[in-house]
Amino acid sequence: MQLSKRRDVKALLTTATCALLGGAQASATESSSEQWQFDTAVLFYSESERVSAVEAIVAGQKSFANDQRLNVKLTIDSLTGASANGAVAQPNAQTFTRPSGNGQYHIKADKTPLDDTFKDTRVQLTGQWTQPLFNDYTWSVGGNLSKEYDYLSLSVNSNLARDFNKKNTTVSAGFSYAFDQIEPEGGLAKPFTTMAVDSFGTPEFDDAFAQIRDGSTEDKNTLDLLFGLTQVINRNTIVQLNYSYSDVSGYLTDPFKVISVVDQHGMSQRAIYENRPDTRTKHAFFGQVKTHFNNTILDASYRFMTDDWQIDSHTLDMRYRISLNNGHFVEPHVRYYTQSAAEFYQPFIQDDAMALDYLSADYRIGEMDAFTVGIKYGLPMSSGDSLSFRLEYYRQTPKNNGTEAIGALKDVELYEPVDAIIAQVSYSF
Amino acid sequence: MDRQVECITRDGGFTLTFFAMASPCEVLIDTLDKRLAMLIGQKVAAEAWRIEDKYSRYQTTSVCGQLNTNAGTRCPIDEETYLLLQFAEQCYQLSDGLFDITSGVLRRAWHFDCSDNIPTEQQIAKWLPLVGWQRVSFDRHGFTMAKNMEIDFGGIGKEYAVDKAMDIVQSIIKQQTEAVMPVLINFGGDLAVNGPRNSDQAWQVGVEHPSLTEQSVMMVSIRYGAIATSGDANRYLLKNGVRYSHVLDVKTGWPVKNPPKSITVAAPKCIQAGLLATLALLRGSQASEYLSEQEIKHWVID
Amino acid sequence: MKNKNLLFTATCFALLLSGCSSLGVEPWERDILAKKEMALTASPIDAALDDHIYFSKEASSGGKSFGGGGCGCN
Repeated sequence: MQLSKRRDVKALLTTATCALLGGAQASATESSSEQWQFDTAVLFYSESERVSAVEAIVAGQKSFANDQRLNVKLTIDSLTGASANGAVAQPNAQTFTRPSGNGQYHIKADKTPLDDTFKDTRVQLTGQWTQPLFNDYTWSVGGNLSKEYDYLSLSVNSNLARDFNKKNTTVSAGFSYAFDQIEPEGGLAKPFTTMAVDSFGTPEFDDAFAQIRDGSTEDKNTLDLLFGLTQVINRNTIVQLNYSYSDVSGYLTDPFKVISVVDQHGMSQRAIYENRPDTRTKHAFFGQVKTHFNNTILDASYRFMTDDWQIDSHTLDMRYRISLNNGHFVEPHVRYYTQSAAEFYQPFIQDDAMALDYLSADYRIGEMDAFTVGIKYGLPMSSGDSLSFRLEYYRQTPKNNGTEAIGALKDVELYEPVDAIIAQVSYSF
Repeated sequence: MDRQVECITRDGGFTLTFFAMASPCEVLIDTLDKRLAMLIGQKVAAEAWRIEDKYSRYQTTSVCGQLNTNAGTRCPIDEETYLLLQFAEQCYQLSDGLFDITSGVLRRAWHFDCSDNIPTEQQIAKWLPLVGWQRVSFDRHGFTMAKNMEIDFGGIGKEYAVDKAMDIVQSIIKQQTEAVMPVLINFGGDLAVNGPRNSDQAWQVGVEHPSLTEQSVMMVSIRYGAIATSGDANRYLLKNGVRYSHVLDVKTGWPVKNPPKSITVAAPKCIQAGLLATLALLRGSQASEYLSEQEIKHWVID
Repeated sequence: MKNKNLLFTATCFALLLSGCSSLGVEPWERDILAKKEMALTASPIDAALDDHIYFSKEASSGGKSFGGGGCGCN
């Protein structure tokens, strides 16, 4: 009884103080340190004629005494629409079997074959704990779980950072280990086997489909190492440099992708399932500069990545935040990306081609340029919350990596550009 | 005392000092912008002097002086005074009558000058009837108390000034700059900060506990909110080995038994910290336990 | 070519590290860098969403953090 009455003192006193000093201010001091802070966002991603996705995020952060921090994040996304299956467009209509074997889809003449069965919902949960360790050290540990209908991903990560030179220099090292498992409906296709198409709906088709299946689940393991250096240059400028190493092993093939086998006239004879190496080693170098001018902030970054699939990529990203009156801001964004093709990438193969170990016609590992232009507008809300809108346009331009089109393929679009719109609303409270 | 603000340049910013409410006051501002630091210092000092002039019981022209002079009749009051009285009322309620801003008259009987001059029961009994918040009535526009009663905002005035000054500082920073500007306001040991220092560092504050035998400074670290200290410092009586604290139980008129020499409390607002420190001292030897039970961060010197 | 690239970058790192001690600011000069919008990742939500998009659409990912991944994206 006595205890509960005494506890009331604190609450009553807070009420009395709010009345005296004004409510908002009286409670504001503690909120920044003790309360949960949330960032939420909904993003719409829509490609013309292809995939569209909706993704929602709720991220919470709570600070504790002694500079400890907990971050949790829930992501839900839903994807529907059509995705290029890797086959080439033809002067005539084409028929393909869905990866599940439960249906077929027809592609009109001169159209890039798109498999329109993609429909997936993903739920992802991440947690990260960060705390000072000794003087000048910060330690962080986290985990991630992501689940969709046919895919599971689990990962753990840890990072240690040390400050030098009055906290002007920070050196960090971290690792992440991920385990992924894929279990597509209808099983996994055997590499290089021919997609079963004819006599759909008959026992002969079912036999042919079963023949080219090889197990139902496959795994992959990813080890990432990240070494970083952050340096304060002066009162307005901070720089970050990272090197990261990534080693992926296991099933790296995309079981939904095929490649067209064409004759000397460029006419498709059949579609065979792709096959990728079972290891991939990547190195990435990343640099970022952030500078504060009078009323603007320039954030520029560059990334070079190279891997043993012979893919090299360069990414340039620039954001320029312009402060307006009353805490509003506008932030234009441009991004340029270019990559070379994987050594086993081919847009199609000819009938008489020699036997290959690895082969893929997935445009995402072919030669490609991409750019993004966007704008973000943010404004503070009365209660200290903030609201922002982001609209971006993303265009991918796949390019010929030196493969000469033959026959009918000269008259169709082998490298169809992809256009997408990204729209996002965020609210932080 | 001259009403002047001194500006001292130090590593990382400026310290503005002045004298108000019988205490040395300082404002620590971590910025390179001297103009803005001076402006903030001036505004803080102006607010401290404004509150001192308005609520000092030593100035007969102050609102407090006028209310005391005119005890027995209804006096008009303004909004700020109403809010302060309302706050005093709530403190009286939540302390079960232990915190009472009409208790100042007991100082006519008790002179805490470190002597052995203990008043007699008769002397105390003479003043005790004049203590009692329940015999005060007020509304938004007027205030009435019995003749010869006195009120005293001394128990909350300095802390209130710290909070009001911090509100002013925050609005100046918001108007004048986009940058984060750490500020600490310290009015004679009652202080508030507007957040951690740059690089998320806590403020290190020395809390003084002057006593007869020792001059000790306890270092307290604070990132958010405020701290206030209440204690008997140089205000007590000593007779036959018994120490009589200046903390009086308004119900008996006698000092509370064995309170800590000093207690420092952390709270979101300075006025809360100050009141909690006072309420804890009123619990005598149970002071620390009282705060611990409510999970209130505090530091005690016995 | 690859090795040269690596070597060049490693040299840059070493040079930067040794030059670091003369760079930087005093703790009280951090007012601007302390602003939320001056954080290297000022909007973690945007970064997470972008990582996911580009991970599923391009052959490269990560670099800045352990970005992207965790999906069988198509």
